[in-house]
Amino acid sequence: MKTLNFCNHGLQICKEGVLFWLEKEIAIVSDLHLEKGSSYASSGQYIPPYDSEETLLKLLDILNNYRVKKVILLGDTFHDKDAFLRMTSKVRFLFEDFTKKYEVIFILGNHENKIKIEDIKFHQEYIVDDIHFLHEAIQKNINQISGHFHPVASIKVSSKKITSKCLIHSNNHIILPSFGEFTGGLNINDPVLKPFISEDYNIYFLTKKSIYKFSNKEIESQY
Amino acid sequence: MSENLKLQPIQNWLKKNNWFFYDHQLETLNQSINGHDILLIAPTGGGKTLAGFLPSLHDLINDKFPDNKLHTLYISPLKALTIDVHRNLTNPIEDQKLDIRVETRTGDTSNYKKTRQKEVPPHMLMTTPESLALLLADTQAKEYFKFLRYLIIDEIHSLVNSKRGDLLSLNLSRLNNISPNCKRIGLSATIKNKKSTLNFLSQKKNSKIINIREKSSPKIEILETENRVPWSGHMAGYAITDIYKKIKLSSMTILFVNTRAQAELVFNKLWQENENNLKIAIHHGSLQKEIRRKVENLMSLGKLDCVVATSSLDLGIDWGKVDLVVQIGSPKGIARFLQRIGRSNHRFDEPSKALLVPSNRFEYLECISTIASIKANLLDEVKDKEGSLDVLAQHILGVACSNPFQIDDFFLEIKKAWPFRNLKKQTFLDVLEFVRNGGYSLKHYEQYAKIGINKNNFYAIKNKNIRNRYRLNVGTIVESYMLKVKLGNRTLGQVEEWFIEGLNEGDTFLFSGRVLEYQSITNNNIIVRSTNSAHPKIPSYAGGRLPLTSELSFQVRKLISKKEYWKHFPNQISDWLKLQNKFSGLPSVEGLLVETFPRHIKNKKRYFLICYTFEGRNANQTLGFLISKKMQRMGYKPISFVATDYALAIWSMIEVEDINVILNEDIMLDDLYEWLEETPLLKKNFRDAAIISGLIERTIPGRKKTGKQVMFSSDLIFNVLKKHEPNHILLQVARNDSYRGLIDLDRLGDFLKRIKNNIIHKRLDRISPLAVPLVLEINRQTIDKSEVDEYFLEELENEILTEVGLN
Repeated sequence: MKTLNFCNHGLQICKEGVLFWLEKEIAIVSDLHLEKGSSYASSGQYIPPYDSEETLLKLLDILNNYRVKKVILLGDTFHDKDAFLRMTSKVRFLFEDFTKKYEVIFILGNHENKIKIEDIKFHQEYIVDDIHFLHEAIQKNINQISGHFHPVASIKVSSKKITSKCLIHSNNHIILPSFGEFTGGLNINDPVLKPFISEDYNIYFLTKKSIYKFSNKEIESQY
Repeated sequence: MSENLKLQPIQNWLKKNNWFFYDHQLETLNQSINGHDILLIAPTGGGKTLAGFLPSLHDLINDKFPDNKLHTLYISPLKALTIDVHRNLTNPIEDQKLDIRVETRTGDTSNYKKTRQKEVPPHMLMTTPESLALLLADTQAKEYFKFLRYLIIDEIHSLVNSKRGDLLSLNLSRLNNISPNCKRIGLSATIKNKKSTLNFLSQKKNSKIINIREKSSPKIEILETENRVPWSGHMAGYAITDIYKKIKLSSMTILFVNTRAQAELVFNKLWQENENNLKIAIHHGSLQKEIRRKVENLMSLGKLDCVVATSSLDLGIDWGKVDLVVQIGSPKGIARFLQRIGRSNHRFDEPSKALLVPSNRFEYLECISTIASIKANLLDEVKDKEGSLDVLAQHILGVACSNPFQIDDFFLEIKKAWPFRNLKKQTFLDVLEFVRNGGYSLKHYEQYAKIGINKNNFYAIKNKNIRNRYRLNVGTIVESYMLKVKLGNRTLGQVEEWFIEGLNEGDTFLFSGRVLEYQSITNNNIIVRSTNSAHPKIPSYAGGRLPLTSELSFQVRKLISKKEYWKHFPNQISDWLKLQNKFSGLPSVEGLLVETFPRHIKNKKRYFLICYTFEGRNANQTLGFLISKKMQRMGYKPISFVATDYALAIWSMIEVEDINVILNEDIMLDDLYEWLEETPLLKKNFRDAAIISGLIERTIPGRKKTGKQVMFSSDLIFNVLKKHEPNHILLQVARNDSYRGLIDLDRLGDFLKRIKNNIIHKRLDRISPLAVPLVLEINRQTIDKSEVDEYFLEELENEILTEVGLN
């Protein structure tokens, strides 16, 4: 776990990419993309159907270790509008276990257009104190925590490149990495991220074993 | 010529050119007329191709055959070869005004032409295994091939025991059902495993081998030079002036190199030397098709003085006037080299001439060994391989695209393909389920199955869309994702995505014979501009170098260990070995020489460990993985290793003390399985299998995934499958391919037993003469990536913390 000071709130990030606001007993996680694997099957690409199970087990396992009451899912929880229908009974069971145990807030993601699931309400935005929880960052001077972009960074060490998921912290923006088992990534240097990143920012670089914090200057000085 | 053979037009044409039939050509014709399938083994330049086509020409000239039906199918592993053979065959046909239509069909053929070829087939069609697979997946395939009388497979030795061969063999079996009376002729270079190649071609009882021996052994020399042969490197820069002199003295030279990077560099150096303005061209697989065709054309017209080429020119293309073949770098295999020198004096009753140019000192030893092996008539052994299941998966879908099938008939057909002769019914059924719905144990995807089963138990694809997607994914060669290199509006060729990732704006590199400056990537094009920079960054887009065959490895080992041989070496080579002897020691025949020494890499102290095994690159690579695993467990923090044909070099952050513990036999037991499961090789093989089998698509209509995306997701799939379906077909394929790609593990076991209590450990304070070439090798292997990444990140973090005064 590493602690970061976000607009005078102490938040903590774990190496798997879940953000904690322990003072409020809140966990924040983004882009689970449940049932991404099975979404290809109708077009004849039989990607293994076990990603949802992996994702949910991993999430439940992490949450178990902390005092958390509320979980905010920053959107794209489901890979597509029919994802929920495709879940196997085992995955359904895990999912229900999760929503019973925690107060789960669903933010609506772009993958969830026209989604309808009984008993689940999707929010455009959710606010706790002065922090706005959104799926996709907006160009507005508010404190916001969002997901959507699946940020990854490449760090050059000893003339080789290491690429991994990362959290971006820039002034009053936090962009969380994707959590889902089958999710890819977008490099932090990609122009679409530019509007949301100020001149100074930090990344929290997440690896299998640990978290490394780098400032943008440390990353840029490598090139 | 005997009376009953009527080949007047061909004879007239030969006579006109002052040529005559070779005996083996007529024998092939006779045997084929008598109903035999024939494997013709002959050295390059023996008129092999004409021999292959004679029976077919004879039949077309003398027998009635319906117009607009396919008579002869010619299959070659190379597109360029189909074009070359087409040209060679068109000459006599046009000259004698024969009513025979000959056409090629490859991935390069226009859609318009392809459609026309389907409606009005030529008499003779020249194609590749992949294009054949596509033709057979057509709904009209049966009609198309029904009249086929002759099937010719060129360079068959390069297809057997490969995934391409598996695909071809399955389609041969299919053809056999469609046109059972078609006669087959296989053309092969000199090979060791003749019998299995014949079985691959035909399992008819009366099939025959016609074996033509080289009439005179080739004349091979090693380049004599006043200059220093470098300790390492693969570029042979020292030899350019001497090579240039030889080019001047010859009428046409082919200069073979092993990698594209070598080709570019040598080409560039030759032009710097080119005061006589000789016409020197370059030919390699990354260059734009038009550029390659142009070079091939100029060559066959005899308008060039020299061509620098990679294996893109390797296979039997007939280049009239070449009188000198130069091989830069060791050819790495005897058969391969014989094939290459077959290029010179393309008449097989005259000896071929070749010049070997070793690019470093180890290669010098290899070159001496190559010549000795050729004199002794030794040939490389190729291991027989079972048919791959990912290829079978692709084939099953192809057949389902063509027409509905029933399980039992289809299984019998597959078993008749030689590599699949041992296939078990259950395995076949598993692969079939995999193709239909992914084959997962819970049948998650049955509702989306690609192949449906009808009331009469016929299997057929569910819609046309599946056929279209199959067409885009056919083939067994999985290439790295390529980006186009654009100079202004011109496309110069393609390079792998990962090469460009290592470049920064303004970096210069050699490509297509020019020095180019990298500017940007736009829409998957690499934008470059010409520059006059004299020192281009050397391109590392070379990809895999050819591995040394075990036969040659062994020869080199013998050579280096016996001082009495050394007097035959040039001074600089024997001096090098003497220096090594004085400074450290010599590798012994029975034991193992190990050296350890510290060395700085980028200001950081690293500890090197070198094992001179001389067991070949594959064995050294496996050993490298196993040792590094052990070192990791013991906390030595190994970073990387280099496995060459001769030795293994590992470097770590912490010095290894007890060598005997590291090189203990138990590394084979402890870590082998675990290692195999984690090796990047297994992941790479899994990715290839996932693409070949159709689990991941190469391309999606209208949208091309980048190679990286495919790589990323195949790793994720790999991890999930390992956990949930550890025996999934694709994991089986990846494991088998990995085992095969490594070595016989037995050999490594024997090696470890042999060296037990027989390790000479030299602790040095700096690098030894023999180790220099290894440490300078660029082709590094990364050890368990995630683990090493952590070391580096820790180190970087510590540095940053120290810098800001927190440490």
